[in-house]
Amino acid sequence: MKLALFGVGNAGTRLVDRLLAAESALDGSLTAGNAIAFNTTPSAFAAADQLEDEQMVVIGDTHPDVVAPEDAGADRREGVGGDLHLGVEAARDDLPEIRRALDTVDDTEVDAALVVAGLGGGTGAGLGSVLLEELKSIYEIPVYVLGVLPASDESDRRAWTAARAIRTVVPLADAVLPVDNEAWDADASAAPVEDGEDDDATEPFAAVNEAVAERVVSLFAVGEREGPPLSELRMDPNDIGRTLEVGGLATIGHARTELDVESEGWFDRFRRLLGFDVPEPEPQTDAMGIKQLVKRALESRLTLPCDVSTADRVLLVLSGPPRELSRKGFETGRKLLEDETGTVEILAGDEPLDDAESITATVLLSNVTEVPRIEALQERAVDFEREQAVDEGSTDETPATEQSAAAEPNSKAATTDASTAEQPPAAEPEMGDERETDGEPTPDRTVDGQADKPEADDEATDDQAVDEQAASDKEDGQETGEEADEDGEHGFQFEDEDPESSTDEESDDYTVKDPFN
Amino acid sequence: MKLATIGVGNAGSKLIDRMLEFEQETGRDLCRHVLVINTARTDLAKPEYVPEDRRVLIGDTHQKAKGHGVGGDGEVGAEVAKNDIDEIRRVFDDVEIHEVDAILVAAGLGGGTGSGAGPVVIDELQKMYDEPVYGLGVLPGEYEGGRPALNAARSLQSFVTKVDNFIAFDNDAWRSRGQTVEEGYEQMNRELATRIVTLLAAGEVDDSDVGENAMDSSDIMRTLDTGGVSSIGYASSDLDKPEGLLSKYKSPDKDEEINSMDAAKIKGLVRRAVNSRLTIPCEVSSADRALIVFAGPSSMISRKGIEASREWLEKEADTVEVLAGDDPREDSDTLAAVVLLSNVTETPRIKEIQNQAVDAQNKIQELDAVREEEINSLITDDDNELDPIV
Repeated sequence: MKLALFGVGNAGTRLVDRLLAAESALDGSLTAGNAIAFNTTPSAFAAADQLEDEQMVVIGDTHPDVVAPEDAGADRREGVGGDLHLGVEAARDDLPEIRRALDTVDDTEVDAALVVAGLGGGTGAGLGSVLLEELKSIYEIPVYVLGVLPASDESDRRAWTAARAIRTVVPLADAVLPVDNEAWDADASAAPVEDGEDDDATEPFAAVNEAVAERVVSLFAVGEREGPPLSELRMDPNDIGRTLEVGGLATIGHARTELDVESEGWFDRFRRLLGFDVPEPEPQTDAMGIKQLVKRALESRLTLPCDVSTADRVLLVLSGPPRELSRKGFETGRKLLEDETGTVEILAGDEPLDDAESITATVLLSNVTEVPRIEALQERAVDFEREQAVDEGSTDETPATEQSAAAEPNSKAATTDASTAEQPPAAEPEMGDERETDGEPTPDRTVDGQADKPEADDEATDDQAVDEQAASDKEDGQETGEEADEDGEHGFQFEDEDPESSTDEESDDYTVKDPFN
Repeated sequence: MKLATIGVGNAGSKLIDRMLEFEQETGRDLCRHVLVINTARTDLAKPEYVPEDRRVLIGDTHQKAKGHGVGGDGEVGAEVAKNDIDEIRRVFDDVEIHEVDAILVAAGLGGGTGSGAGPVVIDELQKMYDEPVYGLGVLPGEYEGGRPALNAARSLQSFVTKVDNFIAFDNDAWRSRGQTVEEGYEQMNRELATRIVTLLAAGEVDDSDVGENAMDSSDIMRTLDTGGVSSIGYASSDLDKPEGLLSKYKSPDKDEEINSMDAAKIKGLVRRAVNSRLTIPCEVSSADRALIVFAGPSSMISRKGIEASREWLEKEADTVEVLAGDDPREDSDTLAAVVLLSNVTETPRIKEIQNQAVDAQNKIQELDAVREEEINSLITDDDNELDPIV
């Protein structure tokens, strides 16, 4: 499946650069040269060694609040400084610039677009969402998102940004492939995940990016390699498309087994090196080995750890020298996936690589729905949002104080509450109720937050606490999110008949009433 | 018999390609017209014996397919074929149908293109021509999983009702340990091509004067006339021909000295054909009609042997409609017996596939029902406090 790559923000730029590096190692093309990196600051572009200069576009640098590298200091981070809303606003202001850059991409040459972004960053989440919206409106091809999630030792603001980003990009994109940095980072330094990864401390998450790039490329580059089409059960771009078309979150597993060149013994190998005629070792078409490999791929560190039994559709690719790909192993491996994931929508293909010294199994699980990391992010995000509401309640009671909040980059979070509160409620009647919930007068929110606080502090009882809160909210006659959930009404934001209108309306929030301008 | 052969999808195309290979290698001339149809451009490059201008890509303008296959979805396969039916019809125009006795459509029933586009193609052929249209369908193995089983179970219904006879091939029966993916399918396609070509090529030279035992096309067509699902058995025996260069200089009547196989041996060959792997395992006695073709040097095939074989099969298949005859191949160094069991009604594999398909369909529907809801609840926090960004 040929992909146009769109990197957004620092993390996105770095990861796209890694993807391009992995592509250059292929005998074929994954992107056909269609790649662009967008960022609000040019600094991260310097480190990119695969992207051409004209493929790197700075967006929003003319916005008054976007900090140029030379103005950055200890208290002023360059770019949007992690501010999600500034990221959105800067991107919207520069839409013509974005569109101009998109003109350089030929979407008829590719089968899908992949937006690559760090979802915890202001640029990745903000600019990324705007870009995604734009791509969805101009492209017929599917648009996927490869989004890096912040680790748990990163700030609450980043968790909050990522949780909202997930909430945004999943309904917009055709599928989202989150990358759980944490799952990877934990032992990336302790033990290299796969060979060929080096621990380059100069680049944050270098090992993770490398591993993720390997997985993404092994998946999407299937069938894009040059050479005779030897494959028996070739994966077509539409096979990947069909697997991902269910939407939601997808995850990739990957396992490799080095072929046992050792078995012939050092002596024979040495003799062959010297030019003696030593017969090649017999191929080991080991059905059990292939099945185990598939199992390992499923149990491997997934790009997004999840309960694999919740997968909706599955794709399996076995790559390696054709003489090593046991048919029986291939079929039992596929069966194993059906048993483990509980779905029958499994597409499996082979990718013969004559000169490969290893066999790899790459598994794509689409629309997985039990994802502890997402839940954890949401919990942190909700706490953060409540804290912000509290802060805002005490320091930021009137719109007149917005300017002071803007001067303080570290307390920018509660924008939504403040801004939506001012939004004309009559603009869209059916959204009014929900809007009101969001835009409740800040003091109420504050009371809720404070009342909830002591209970919510205890992680174990958090759910219960939330339930209680929900119950009490209901008694108060307020519409709570949970109630909306049960009614399925929560879907309205992204199932809206006319997303543009709500989008424009919200963009007003950011452009006109954002308190941090 | 003279055939127009059409391969639909990856498996069907490869099968046709192997049939062409086998007929070239053995000097047969069965496939007078050949056509392969696929939704994936790359797969159309695979055949080695099918001329370039006889490969048709469909669905390249279809929004979903775009020349990249149909993602294993039979419904998309059918849709694509219906949209491009004019294109397909145009290619059929080249087929001089009066030159052929019948049309054979080969397809894999587990994949999206074969299972979906296959029946659409057959519908069109039936509309356009009076000649019988036979189906040659590869059924997915159990290990290929639920989705292929569902495609196959649904497609099988379409195939069997639309074709004049459906010759089935069960992937599971031909699965063996130690094969690679490549060898596995290659080997199966060759085995099936050998059977189908040996059977149908009998009587291709109808004007020959090769004796009264010779099988001709009408016999084969009569046997296939039953409709339903058919299975083919095959066995062959190497002949001890004089070896080496010198044999060429020996007098022609030396052949006379090679004793024709005695009746018992010939009957043994037929028994082996029926009891070995049939293309689809079935209860032999459930067959409606049957036919035996012996392909090999005519001197090797004794009339007595043919008769004994016929009688044996009559008992086994529990039908009096058994035809037997030979297909003289003087240059052949093997004697092969092919047995066609027409309209076999007890085929455990088809039941299994149907059961697997029902399970699969239930699972698919369950997942479809909760999909949106599950995605929404995953991306929304418990109290729906977090808003989308844009």
